[in-house]
Amino acid sequence: MKIELKNICKSFNKKTNTIDNLSLTIEDGEFVALLGPSGCGKSTTMLMIAGIYKPDSGEIYFEDQLVNDLEPKDRNIGMVFQSYALYPHMTVLDNIAFPLKQQKVPKEERIKRAKQVAEMVQLEHLLDRKPSELSGGQQQRVALARAIVKKPKVLLLDEPMSNLDARLKIEMREEISRIQKELGITTILVTHDQEEAMTMADRIAVMKEGKIIQYSTPMELYKYPKDYFVAQFIGTPPMNFLKGKLSNRRLHLQNMTIELDREFLNFHGGEADVNVGIRPHDLKLGNSGDILFKGTVNMVEPIGHSQIVNVKICNEQVRFFVEPNTKMEYGREIEISADISAIHLFDAVTGRNLKNVHESQRQVKEYSFHSQE
Amino acid sequence: MGATSYRAETKRVLTPVSKRKKRIPYIIAYGVLGVTTLPVILMYLWLLLRSFFEQMKYGFIPVHFTLENWQFLWSSVEHGGSSLPSIWTATWNSFVFSGTLTILEVIIGVMAGYALARIEFPGRQALMKTTLLLHAFPSIALLIAVYYILNFMGLFDSLFGVVLVKTALQIPMTAWIVKGFFDDVPWDVEWAGLIDGCSRLKVWFTIVLPLIKPGIAAVSIFSFLSGWSEFLLLYTFILSDGNVTLSSYLQRLISDPNLVNYGLLSAVSLFYMLPVLLFFIFTQKSLMQVSVGGGKRV
Amino acid sequence: MGSVLKKWKLPAIMLGPFIVLIFLFFFLPVVLIAILAFTSMDSAMRWDFNGLANFQKLVTDPNILLIVKNTVIYVGFTLLINVFFGLVLGILTTYFIQKESVGLFFRTIWMLPRISPPVVYVLLWLWFFDPSEYGVLNSLRAIFHMPPKEWLTTHPMVAVILANGLIGASFGMIIFSSAIKSIPKDLFYAANVDGASQWSIIKDIIIPAMRWPLMFVTLWQFLSLLTSYEYILLLTNGGPLFESEVLALYSYHKAFRNFEFGYGSAISLVLVLIALIFSFIMWKLFGMKKMMGSSRIE
Repeated sequence: MKIELKNICKSFNKKTNTIDNLSLTIEDGEFVALLGPSGCGKSTTMLMIAGIYKPDSGEIYFEDQLVNDLEPKDRNIGMVFQSYALYPHMTVLDNIAFPLKQQKVPKEERIKRAKQVAEMVQLEHLLDRKPSELSGGQQQRVALARAIVKKPKVLLLDEPMSNLDARLKIEMREEISRIQKELGITTILVTHDQEEAMTMADRIAVMKEGKIIQYSTPMELYKYPKDYFVAQFIGTPPMNFLKGKLSNRRLHLQNMTIELDREFLNFHGGEADVNVGIRPHDLKLGNSGDILFKGTVNMVEPIGHSQIVNVKICNEQVRFFVEPNTKMEYGREIEISADISAIHLFDAVTGRNLKNVHESQRQVKEYSFHSQE
Repeated sequence: MGATSYRAETKRVLTPVSKRKKRIPYIIAYGVLGVTTLPVILMYLWLLLRSFFEQMKYGFIPVHFTLENWQFLWSSVEHGGSSLPSIWTATWNSFVFSGTLTILEVIIGVMAGYALARIEFPGRQALMKTTLLLHAFPSIALLIAVYYILNFMGLFDSLFGVVLVKTALQIPMTAWIVKGFFDDVPWDVEWAGLIDGCSRLKVWFTIVLPLIKPGIAAVSIFSFLSGWSEFLLLYTFILSDGNVTLSSYLQRLISDPNLVNYGLLSAVSLFYMLPVLLFFIFTQKSLMQVSVGGGKRV
Repeated sequence: MGSVLKKWKLPAIMLGPFIVLIFLFFFLPVVLIAILAFTSMDSAMRWDFNGLANFQKLVTDPNILLIVKNTVIYVGFTLLINVFFGLVLGILTTYFIQKESVGLFFRTIWMLPRISPPVVYVLLWLWFFDPSEYGVLNSLRAIFHMPPKEWLTTHPMVAVILANGLIGASFGMIIFSSAIKSIPKDLFYAANVDGASQWSIIKDIIIPAMRWPLMFVTLWQFLSLLTSYEYILLLTNGGPLFESEVLALYSYHKAFRNFEFGYGSAISLVLVLIALIFSFIMWKLFGMKKMMGSSRIE
C-alpha cells in the first residue's frame, strides 16, 4: 500500500515543532527506513502513521485515502516495538492470535493461522510459554509474528533490534528482510543505527530535528550525501573531515592548493570555509592518488579482514583501511592519498554539499537500483 | 530482594578491641529496638492470652484456661441492663459495609486512576492537582456538613450512606495509588493493543487491567481493612441496633461504666481483629511496599 | 461537534463517579461549613443567620484557652514522637539491621498499632492505664506495694499523646525506611572505605537524604493531627471535663453532643482554613509536576 505524508506538523509543547512540515512518499511494497539520532522525530512520525498520534496539520494518505482521523485499529497495520510490548499475561500463541481475535476470526482458523506464522519465525516449539520465559530474540520473533499475523497492509518496525546482541541483530536483520520480501508488505523501519538502515531498506529518510534531510537509496546516501549531517551519519567508520577553504575554484587544504574542475563544483564563486570529507575507503596508503597527505600513525585497530589506521595529519586526524598484513606501528611517518573525485565538500556554515548535483545524479543512475517500476 | 547489606564487607584484620568497638553501635541499636518493641508485642500477646484465661496475675501471668470469654459467639451479651445485638449481626454488617466499600472504591478508583494516568482531557492538570491536594484535606472536620448532606439525602443511619461517605473520603488517595500502577504499564503495550485492533476501552479491559491485577488486589485489601476498622463515621452516622457493626459493638462494651470485663473485651477484640491479622500476615510484605510506593511518594 | 463529544465521552465515563463523590463529600461540605458557620443552626436544622456571633462566641468561650493550649501540646508533642521516633525506627530497622527479614519483622510489629482497628488499639491503652489494680501501670505499682492510680484522670494528655505518638511513628518509619533504602549503596561503601564512623554515616549520609521526607512527614502529620480526634474520642473523650479536649474534638462535641451545628461549623471552618494554608505550603514545597505527564494516545 502506498503511503503519503503531506506537510505534516506535530508539536507536543506548543512552542517547538517535533515534526516540522514533513512530506514523505512510500511506494507500495517498499521498505523505507527513518534514520536519525534520538529525538529527531522519527518515532513520532511512525506513531502518526500508526494513528496513535494525530498530526496537528497536514495529511496522511493510505492509497489516496485520507486517514488522519482513522483510529489505529481501522488502519490495518502491524507494528513491532522496541520493547516488543508483548502482553505478559498471555501465552505466545495467544499473543500471536490476539490481532485475529480482534477481527473476530473463528477460533479454529485463528489458531491455525497463528501457528503458521509462528512456524514462519521458527517459534512453533514455544507456543505455550509466557513472554517472560523467552529470551530477547524469541520475544522479538513473537512480536514480529504478532505484527504480521493479520496480513497487514503496512508493517511498522520501531527500533526492533536495539535490544538484541550483535550476532542476533544480524540474524534478525536477514530474517525480517526475508519475510518482508516474501510478503511484499510495505514496511517502515525506525532506527538510529545507520548500518541497519543501509542493509535493510530500499530507501532511507535521514531525519534531523523534525525534518527530512535526505530521502534516497542507501547507495546514493553513501556516495552523494546532500549535506554534512548525512555525510557524517552514514558509514562506518565515519567519513573523515578536514578543514579547508574554498576561493572560487581553488581549494586550500592543509598546505596544498587544489584546482577543481568547473563541472565538479556547484559553487558560485567567492570564499567559503569548507569541511572536506573523505571516506576511509577512499584513502590509500602510498602516493598513487591525486591528493597527498603526510602524517604519523596514531592508532591501529585490527578488525580481522583489515586494519583501521588512525593517522594524525598536522592537527587533524583521519582514519583509513590497510591490508591486514601491512606492518603499521605507532609513530611511524606515512604517506596517504586520495583521488579528487572521491572528496566531498561541505559548506562549513550551511552544511550543504558543494559538489555538483548534476554530476552526482548522472552517476546515481549507473550505481543505484532505484526500484521504481 | 534477599538480604541487602549497606556496609561494605571489609576483610580487614581487626584487633579484638576495635572489633568490640565496632560492634557497640549495633548492640545499642538492637537494644533500643528490643526495649521499645517488647511492650508492643506484650500488649498484643496479652490480648490473646487474656481472652483464653480467667485472670492475669500481676496483669501478665495467665491463670486458669477458659472459653467463657468467647461465649458472646453463641449467646447474647448483657450490657448496661439491656442486651447487645448478636455479634453475628454486627459481623454481617461489618462485612457488608467493608465489602460494599471495597467494590465501590476499587471500581471508581480504577476508572478514575486510569483517566488520570492515561487520558488527555481538558482540565486534567487541574483535576490532578485537586486530587493531590485532597490527600491532605482535613475531611474529618467536615463531618457536620456531611451529616447535613446525608440527612438531606435520607441516608442518615444507613450503612450505604456511610459507605458513600467513606468511599468519597478515601477515593482521592486510592485513585492516586491506582494511577501509579497504570503509570507503570508501558505505553508500548497499550499502543500494541490499539494497533492489533482494539478500541481504547477494549485495550484497557483486555490488556491494561490484567497487568495491574496485583495492584488492584492490594488496593482491595486496603479498602476492606479500612472499612473493617472504621469507627468514627459509623459511630456518628449510625444509630439503630440493626445497623450495628463490630467497631461500635466493641466500643459499646468498652464504654459501659459498670462492666470492665477484660476477658470478654479481649475475646471480642481478637474476633474483630481476625481478618485484619490474617490479611496482614499473608500480605504484609507487599502491603508495606504499596503503602510507600503508591500514594505517599516523597 | 462530533469530535468534541468523542473527546469528552471516555474521560466523562471514567471520571464521572469520582467527580460526583468528590463534589458531594468534599466541595459541597466545604461550602456548607462556610455557610453554616454564620448561622445558629441547631437540632431543629433551621438556617438562621447570625453574622459573626459564632466567632465572637468562640473568642469568648470560657474553655477556649484550655482547648487551644491542649491542641498545641497535643500536636506539638505527638509530632515530636512521630518524627523523632519514626526516624529512629527507620534508621534502626533499615540501616543497622542488615538482614532484610529481621528489619521487616520489627517494622511489621510496629505496623500493628496502625493496622489495628482504633477501638482495639484504644482498648489496649485503656487497659494500660486502667485505674484498677488490673491495669498494666497499676499492676507494676502493685509489685512495689503502691496503691493504684487513676492515670487517665490525672494525666489524660500524656495518655493521648502516647497513644497517638506510637501510631504516627509507624507512618514516619515507613517513609523514612523507604527513603533510606533509596540512598545509593555506593555511598555507604564509599563512606566505609573512607573510614567513616557509624555516627558520621548517620549524620552525613542518612540525615541529609532525609531532609525532604522529614519535612513531608512533619507537615503531613501536622495536618492530620490538627484535625483528627478519633483516638482522643475513644480514649478520654476529651475528659475529664475539658482536660484533654482539642479544637477538632470540641467542634465535634459541639455539633453532635450539644447539637450546636452552627457553632461547631465555625470551629471547623477555622481548622479547615489553617489546614488549607498548610496544604498549600506542602504543595508548594513538594512540586508535583513530575507526577503529571501527558497522555500519549490521541
